[in-house]
Amino acid sequence: MLQYIIILLDDTATSFCHYSIPHHRASKLIDLDDLKNGIRFAMIENLMIQFVYPNYELPTRHIEAINSIDHIDIKPYIGEREDNSDVIVFNKIPSNLLKDKYPTTIFRLTPQEFFDFPYYLAKETFKKVERLNIVIKDIDPIQAWDLNRYNDKLKEMSDWIEQEYCNGNTPQWNILTDRMFLSKMNNCGAGDTTITLAPNGKFYICPAFYYENMDDSIGNVNAGLDIKNQYLYKLEYAPICRHCDAYQCKRCLWLNRRMTLEVNTPSHEQCVAAHLERNTSRSLLINIRKHGNFIPEVDNIKEIDYLDPFINREKWQQENL
Amino acid sequence: MATRKLVGQVTPEERNEIQMLFERRNGLNELAKILTSDNAELYEKLVKDMGETSTKFQNWWNRMSQKYLWEGTENGNWEINFDTCEIFLT
Amino acid sequence: MQLRDSRQPWKDGMAKNITFIVTKDCQLACKYCYLVGKNSKEQMSFEIAKQAIDYILSHEEDFKEESVVWDFIGGEPFLEIDLIDKICDYLKIEMFRRDHHWFDSYRFSFSTNGINYHTDKVQQFIEKNKEHLSIGITIDGTREKHDLNRIYKKNEDGKERGSYDDVVRNIPMWLKQFPHVGTKVTISSEDIPYIKESVLHLFSLGIHEVNINCVFEDVWKNGDDKLFENQLLELADAIIDNELYKENVCSFYSELIGKPLDPKRDNQNWCGAGMMLSVDAAGNFYPCTRFASYSLRNKKPIIIGNVYRGIDKNLLRPFLTLDRITQSPQKCLDCEVASGCAWCQGENYDAAKTNTIYERSTAICLMHKARVRANNYYWNKLYRKLELEGEREEFEKNKKEVKQEIC
Repeated sequence: MLQYIIILLDDTATSFCHYSIPHHRASKLIDLDDLKNGIRFAMIENLMIQFVYPNYELPTRHIEAINSIDHIDIKPYIGEREDNSDVIVFNKIPSNLLKDKYPTTIFRLTPQEFFDFPYYLAKETFKKVERLNIVIKDIDPIQAWDLNRYNDKLKEMSDWIEQEYCNGNTPQWNILTDRMFLSKMNNCGAGDTTITLAPNGKFYICPAFYYENMDDSIGNVNAGLDIKNQYLYKLEYAPICRHCDAYQCKRCLWLNRRMTLEVNTPSHEQCVAAHLERNTSRSLLINIRKHGNFIPEVDNIKEIDYLDPFINREKWQQENL
Repeated sequence: MATRKLVGQVTPEERNEIQMLFERRNGLNELAKILTSDNAELYEKLVKDMGETSTKFQNWWNRMSQKYLWEGTENGNWEINFDTCEIFLT
Repeated sequence: MQLRDSRQPWKDGMAKNITFIVTKDCQLACKYCYLVGKNSKEQMSFEIAKQAIDYILSHEEDFKEESVVWDFIGGEPFLEIDLIDKICDYLKIEMFRRDHHWFDSYRFSFSTNGINYHTDKVQQFIEKNKEHLSIGITIDGTREKHDLNRIYKKNEDGKERGSYDDVVRNIPMWLKQFPHVGTKVTISSEDIPYIKESVLHLFSLGIHEVNINCVFEDVWKNGDDKLFENQLLELADAIIDNELYKENVCSFYSELIGKPLDPKRDNQNWCGAGMMLSVDAAGNFYPCTRFASYSLRNKKPIIIGNVYRGIDKNLLRPFLTLDRITQSPQKCLDCEVASGCAWCQGENYDAAKTNTIYERSTAICLMHKARVRANNYYWNKLYRKLELEGEREEFEKNKKEVKQEIC
């Protein structure tokens, strides 16, 4: 069931996920009527709106329209504190210490930036960021993914977080702490719970689908939604994911389609990365609990002997016989 | 048409063993039609394999006939049905 | 209609099937040919075939199936008999040289129009490889039916010429060489009025096993299901009244079809796409030939790699995790006569609303239901006759169940 709508206010609205805005893409502000119609659509369908901003100030009438409805703002970091934003996106690793306190913060990092993520920055985020979402960008070609290094860095970060818990703080880092609290899938929901309205007035499965192919729309603000084969965006129709307990995985449908040509099928690399996060979260939870009674209502994460659930596909069939 | 009489049955595992040897023997025979002694190394490998496979093939029949004590006749042959594992005297 | 040697489905259909699309050319211009991209330019070179073989045989860990069927299709594959002969020789030598486990369990398989079957080159090839061959010859039934569709490319005089006589003259030779041969028949809308006489004609030619299925494409017109049912009812009468069931089997009639399916126990995929591998003249790999551009009407080909880079395993994951429930609409899950209702992954993809293999085409639905009704009639009539004649027990003991084989 649809619950959220992302509205991209400009073609250069910041990415907050794996996809990147094509370099040649020029600024194109969403038409005021399309914006108003999008807001109206959200009100009628009872959807929570997430507005995604470019790095320039919007015209007054656009801001007035945005403020006509309860919403969440996602804004790029532009060198100074955005007081009124719910989510701040850093499109590269901050070169200086963080100036202020931040709400939910997204670090979009290249694999290399992730591997080089420094301890001083972790300490900064522990002090100043309510919640940190780390998103790896530019992961194409996939061969660039060094999963061993990814695993090593996760372990290193896990040690930092464990230490912080010992200090009595409870930092939230999506890739390491989310799984500790989850008992079911918490995926991105594109095409299922969330859709995107692009600056051209058309709906898309998610912003990445828009930037990849503008002809790939699923309706528009005037005619309404037309999601073909919508069941394919649901967890129950994802043969690998529905058996999986890497609940923190974004299950990025755009990456799925790029790597396997099917929105409901993740690549081997995506599964392994998610399971490395899961397994590191498992160890982290065990380690934190050595220091005290931490979230007693949550079970330990069980030990598993695979990193890609795909290898269990014959077992799933057998279980049904 | 030659008469066939059902005289016994082997296990699926035993069937698999002789079927594999049967297939290998056929494969070697058809390979022999195209390999010449010009390709000395492979030719030598083929000749050796043909000998070994033939021996294993005969050993299987000897072993099974001793194990199951199938009925036989002086000029008769045993045949196996790979689908059913049945042994016939023809 | 296609005849093929089916002494047994090789290794119960569990063998790896690797297809070389050796040519896209053919002597014929059949009116119903599904190959939309046939042409006389795309012949496979030996070098491409060799590279494909080298890749496959050097990745034994990725091809663990016990057996292999090396399949050669076209166009008309026997137009390239010299190339095929060279490829098969190379395969035999390489499987042996590398001690590959497939040397102990392989077949060479062909689907041919039969026109060149008698030629010296084809016959020499058969003699050379006879223990490892499976050859299907395509014939549509009676002369009238066959020549309606299976015509030669037009000559300068522009006249149509049927190919029946050139094919049928080779049938006795083919049956002599492959005495346990079976038949594969594919039915389209225009074929319906000829089903009964075609099957009976095939029986009369000495082919005792006829495997039939309807095409998966959405070609059916209003009322086709009723016509189809009537043909199958008439065929059932002819088979039973003339006691043809004693010597012959027609796959239309199977006691396994027409039952509800359990959502969990019967959740496996029907089609083998992804378990198979096809390679074309350009050296591209496909999960099945049906995903090559020349057999797709609406969609881009799904290329899963090539002979230079190998196979991208991520592109195989959707095929290897497909199951019945995930791709079927609710009406199929609720269907009370679902068993035996087949699908083709390539046609599903080609007909799907989005670029997915996870949307099952149901164009065949009414035809399957018609078949189920005729099938019920067949078994009710046959068993009553056998009971009255005291032959039911003997029949059940010896009856041959035809495997559902669709590709």
